[in-house]
Amino acid sequence: MNIRRVAAVASKEWREVTRDRMFLLLAFCMPAVWMFVFGYGLVLDVEHISFVVVDRDHSSLSRDYLYRFYQSRYFSFQGELAGEGNADAWLQSGKARAVIIVPEQFQERLRSGQPTNVQTLIDGTFPLRADITKGYVIAINNAFNMDLLADHLARTRGLSRDEALRRTRPLGLEVRYLYNEEVRSTWSTVPALIMFSLMVSSPLLTALGVVREKETGSIYNIYSSTATRLEFLVGKLVPYVMISALNVVVLWLMAVLLFAVPFKGSLLLFLVTSILFVLTSTGIGLVVSLLVSTQQAALIITVVVSTVPTILFSGLIVPVSSLSQVSQFQAHLFPGMYYTNIVRGTFLKNVGPAVLWPDVLALVVYATVLGTVGYRLFTKRPRI
Amino acid sequence: MEGRTIPNSPITDHASPITPVVRVSGFVKRYKKQIAVQGVDLEIKRGEIYGLIGPDGAGKSSLMKAIAGVLSYEGGTVEVFGTTVDSERSAEQIKQKIGFLPQGLGLNLYPDLSVEENIDFFARIRLVPEHELDQRKARFLAMTRLEKFRDRPMKNLSGGMKQKLGLICTLIHEPELAILDEPTTGVDPVSRRDFWTILAEMQQERGMTVLVSTAYLDEAARFHRLSFLSGGKVVAAGTPAEVQALVPGLMVTFEATPQMGAMARLKTGYKQVEALGSLLHVFTEETVPAAAMQSIISSLGDITPVHLRVDEPELEDVFVALLLRQPAQPPPAELPRTMGLLANHGLAIEAKGLIRDFGTFRAVDRVSFQVKSGEIFGLLGANGAGKTTVIKMLNGIMPPTGGEGWVAGADMKTAGGAIKERIGYMSQAFSLYLDLTVVENIRLFAGIYGLDTKATDQRLTWIVSMAGLKGYESNLTGRLPMGVRQRLALGCALVHQPRVLFLDEPTSGVDPIGRRNFWEILSRLAREEGVAILVTTHYMSEAEHCDHLALMFAGRIVAEGSPGEMKRQVEQEAGQLLEVVTDQPGPALRRVAEAGFAGAALFGTKIHLLSLDPPQDEARLRMVLASDGLHIQSVSTRPLSLEDVFVHRVMALERQEQAAAKGAAA
Repeated sequence: MNIRRVAAVASKEWREVTRDRMFLLLAFCMPAVWMFVFGYGLVLDVEHISFVVVDRDHSSLSRDYLYRFYQSRYFSFQGELAGEGNADAWLQSGKARAVIIVPEQFQERLRSGQPTNVQTLIDGTFPLRADITKGYVIAINNAFNMDLLADHLARTRGLSRDEALRRTRPLGLEVRYLYNEEVRSTWSTVPALIMFSLMVSSPLLTALGVVREKETGSIYNIYSSTATRLEFLVGKLVPYVMISALNVVVLWLMAVLLFAVPFKGSLLLFLVTSILFVLTSTGIGLVVSLLVSTQQAALIITVVVSTVPTILFSGLIVPVSSLSQVSQFQAHLFPGMYYTNIVRGTFLKNVGPAVLWPDVLALVVYATVLGTVGYRLFTKRPRI
Repeated sequence: MEGRTIPNSPITDHASPITPVVRVSGFVKRYKKQIAVQGVDLEIKRGEIYGLIGPDGAGKSSLMKAIAGVLSYEGGTVEVFGTTVDSERSAEQIKQKIGFLPQGLGLNLYPDLSVEENIDFFARIRLVPEHELDQRKARFLAMTRLEKFRDRPMKNLSGGMKQKLGLICTLIHEPELAILDEPTTGVDPVSRRDFWTILAEMQQERGMTVLVSTAYLDEAARFHRLSFLSGGKVVAAGTPAEVQALVPGLMVTFEATPQMGAMARLKTGYKQVEALGSLLHVFTEETVPAAAMQSIISSLGDITPVHLRVDEPELEDVFVALLLRQPAQPPPAELPRTMGLLANHGLAIEAKGLIRDFGTFRAVDRVSFQVKSGEIFGLLGANGAGKTTVIKMLNGIMPPTGGEGWVAGADMKTAGGAIKERIGYMSQAFSLYLDLTVVENIRLFAGIYGLDTKATDQRLTWIVSMAGLKGYESNLTGRLPMGVRQRLALGCALVHQPRVLFLDEPTSGVDPIGRRNFWEILSRLAREEGVAILVTTHYMSEAEHCDHLALMFAGRIVAEGSPGEMKRQVEQEAGQLLEVVTDQPGPALRRVAEAGFAGAALFGTKIHLLSLDPPQDEARLRMVLASDGLHIQSVSTRPLSLEDVFVHRVMALERQEQAAAKGAAA
């Protein structure tokens, strides 16, 4: 391998990429923009659920009940309606996701020991959100029931209110969330977005860069020169690996500074595996580019083989373990999943090679196989 | 060829000097089922400029790529520098000695890199030492007059400049064999001439061997030896003189009225009859001038030819004669009469002081001309001279900054829609839908122009027979040969029977017979149907077909007249064309240039120069060269070609511009 020839190819490629506005945008802006847009957009936490109330009772107890919703950070009070008739309009327009209807004689019946029902209308368009909303409503409702019970005990048994409270909750539950202490979805999605941004931009960039030479015919400069296949491929890919490596740093900074995701693990492990992943994704681009002959085809194939599986099967949105068996199998075929494990592991769990070695090994295998296939596919004396 | 030069520098090569640089035998190349080249034999000797001539799809590119070791092939052997090129490994061995310029104007260059960066890349990938690179770069940039564009991104160069840069990049590592695939296609005549000069110098100085292909038949005379390819086979090979000798005959040129009547009569006896403006051009197989004239006069009957002249045929005429001997020629196109179309001899196009500015750049500067009905008007000029902009303004596609224009009686400023109904337009890249069949394309264009079913069917029949598309009706347009595709595009432009036809560089990539057919259709459209035709081209042999020409330079019309008038103007200003044949053209050219003959250039193995006083200059030339011991074999005057006219005019203007720029700077 002659380093001068590699340098000639690499510096030519670097100049082309940095001078072509479209490429420049694709190379440096797109990953950061994705991170920004999806980082803020792909929040799966259900909070600030907008709701309205219909209070038919207007008693102190009904106000007490509703107050628990008003002050919850999961709910956002939009107003009180005069009657049920308007509720539909609110739900239809999306201004409210839930309506809580307190019936007449709410206080009277409860105080007299009779059961009553609070009706809750929940917008079920989006099942995940509806389920979570229902869960919050149930939790608030349960707490209210417990307090009613405690009040009853205190009144009938002559206990103090604290004592009554203790008696009604003999078994306490203490939950501690590990790694993502506040159970923020950003903590889990943002590290995975590093993977996603790299996985989409890096193969695309590489594939377009190589196919462009085939399309214009400048590849003949290489075919007819004394540069070897390896020299060309290395020189050609170095700029793209460098760009992606730079993007790794930018994306990491965005995750830590902008999204305030804690980084608990080893930075060295993260960087080394990231380079490995960049090599893998660049390799995908290379292989695609050697199989097609137009930039259009390269674009479409790259999106199909890298973007779509990455969104579905990498654990970006849905954990791989919750996928169906077939999907889990598919997930294991794409490199995105392994790197997602590594990124989440290093960011949140502070786990090292001892745990992550299978994922690292998978990336090594991918990079090697893709590189070898690319090298084999590239010929300086093609049939057409 | 006897006059072949012996390279000055000794060649360090394991093969003996007699071994040809390239030896190809029984070469076969297939693309899937399609056979591109079948059984070509070829031998290129060291130090010669070898030409591959032939239309698109003749197999030139496949052959050249295989020789350059960048394409595998299915049959035969290819030997380069004594190495059999049959695998990627063996191909690698010859690549240091080879420079390859693929087809396509500047397409192999890197648009975002500057001129210098492009050269550096090619040099570095070939491991040219940096100090040598600087020297060579300086020399090449000076030779190509690209010095002042050193830092300009390649994408902002004109077509001609791109191609010169491509040549530098191919030659920067000083290859022993340069393989250039259609390097002059789409390049204006001045840049083309520069290109040939550089190549001739390199070949003379370094004994470089050159394999070059071209679709311009008039360039054939520049080669030492050549192969004429058609349909994947060699039709003729040898020196230009040898090829010429294959088809003995003479060209008879004359005027006759009515031209179309005369043509019809001549066609019964002669295969090659061409209308060039008001002139008729006939190839006869007679070899005695008097007999040739007599045979023409007798076959014309009661039409009397005037200004009768007999010349040696050009190589292009020879090639066409050779092609016509091939079996399975496409049927000649017929032009059925259209009903109810009469020629009215008014003005079809009038441009008055047209101006177009793009920002501060004036692309078109006070352009005025007139085109009558039934006239073929040629707009000539280098890339970027403003030809296409003029057409766009007249078509009503682009508003002019100033000036006026009328097309088919409609004012181009106010009647854009009406103009579009009355004109046909055929662009550089034929605007056909490649995934539709021939008939579907015609029907689509008929639909776009709102023809009813009856009219569509009528025009469809007319177009198919006019354009010679019989048998191709249900073929996909993308699979048609270029010549057929071009005639289809012409047909589509004529679907609504326009009175005015605009053709923007219509014949690039079309084979010579196809081109002749095309021009025959055009002249009949003009003569018989009275259609006014405005055509742009930088194909100078085509400009001869026009009745009237205007040469554009930097947005202005700088010369106007019939082809004959334009030649006479230049002859009066600069003199006649002298052709000098010597045994050592390289040293002779240097000596001639030193002796003060400006504008002397190599044309194949011959030297061409302009002379106001041929007898005196001939005597001086003989004296100058004899003093250096160089032997002159012959000096003769040749008729000026339109290309000579173009180059002379544009070079003079460029010199003026430079002088003005210097004056302004001082």
